[in-house]
Amino acid sequence: MRDIGRLVLVLSLIGVISAGTLAYVRAALDARIEHQEDLHVRGPALSRLFARPAPDLLANKLAFRAGGREYPVFYLDDGGQVDRLAVEAAGRGGYGGDVVVMIGLDLARRTLIGVEIVSHHETPGVGARIERESFRAQWTGLALDEPVALRSAGGDLDAISGATFSSRAMVDGTNQVIELLRDHADEIVELAAGGERPARAKGGS
Amino acid sequence: MTAVRALTHGFWRNLPPFRLVLGLCPALAITTAAEYGLGMGLAVTFVLVFSNALVSLLRRVIPDEVRIASFIVVIATLVVLVELAMKAYFYPLSRTLGIYVPLIVVNCIILGRAEAFASRNPVLVSAADGLGVGLGYTISLIVVGSLREILGAGTWFGRPVFGDGFEPFGFMVKAPGAFLCLGLLLGVMNAWSRRRGEIFVQT
Repeated sequence: MRDIGRLVLVLSLIGVISAGTLAYVRAALDARIEHQEDLHVRGPALSRLFARPAPDLLANKLAFRAGGREYPVFYLDDGGQVDRLAVEAAGRGGYGGDVVVMIGLDLARRTLIGVEIVSHHETPGVGARIERESFRAQWTGLALDEPVALRSAGGDLDAISGATFSSRAMVDGTNQVIELLRDHADEIVELAAGGERPARAKGGS
Repeated sequence: MTAVRALTHGFWRNLPPFRLVLGLCPALAITTAAEYGLGMGLAVTFVLVFSNALVSLLRRVIPDEVRIASFIVVIATLVVLVELAMKAYFYPLSRTLGIYVPLIVVNCIILGRAEAFASRNPVLVSAADGLGVGLGYTISLIVVGSLREILGAGTWFGRPVFGDGFEPFGFMVKAPGAFLCLGLLLGVMNAWSRRRGEIFVQT
């Protein structure tokens, strides 16, 4: 009996120390990792969406909270008018977990500028084909006011054959953004336009 | 066994991918360029030195029945530390190595050294063994990576080594090239050892 107690105690202690160390290091490095992701992943995606150099775009960042999720939002405010947004969302239901997409939105024309993949864990050569330009081009020019769907679900988007899960996750991410805009467009624009950076916005500059 | 002997064993006698024939999965998968081999090798070395030291330090505290579970927790903690640090300071490298960084947890070299060496030897010697095996692994990965990069892409650590006329063997940076390269190296090393009459027994 005493032996079992010792086993439990030793293993628990090791586990607790390990968890504590990791939690501490994670908290210490979080801001830096976020910054690196901005620099190496979101920056290139943004500059492709808006066709201008990334450093100008990354500073215009805020984090919008809705429905228990946090959406990183980047905005373009030429001439004081917030007219274009890029919203990041984690599309659920991918074959290897969430497919994180960034959707470019043109608020004046009420259309999607395009979609970029921020991160995914889909199978190389199968699900990973969602990264292809030819597939993502379908998003360009879609209307901002109605949810999108794959052709198999009565929509207009062609899924990648053999990668329905991955395609569906992208649609899910897109629809999260479309719903977010439907419900909160004014709030987001107001936050972006307000000169004072709101308390919940973080990182970026 | 002294610390120096433990250290130098890693370079030849216990050279992981060729002598112990362990840690082959990353050795095949990420050696498309010398730089990735270096990054992966250093990550493994860090984990190996500290896991060996910690396991050796705790060898009298950890009961035999839960030793494997304890080793895995120690190793996994170190690997996550490496992963976080790599993301924070070497982001592009961490994107390239991808899943193979978290997979260091199940790299047989590390658990193998913990079980076969560190759990029976004092701290300093164990750390030296970790360093030796880790550096041996790093060198091996760089060699495989260099061969594949030079032949497959015509560059070494990203710098061109041939003139413009060189047509790279794209085959070498694909998966079959990895098997071919590792197999040939293994064959050459075995032939060399046989000629010298060395007999290898894993310790």
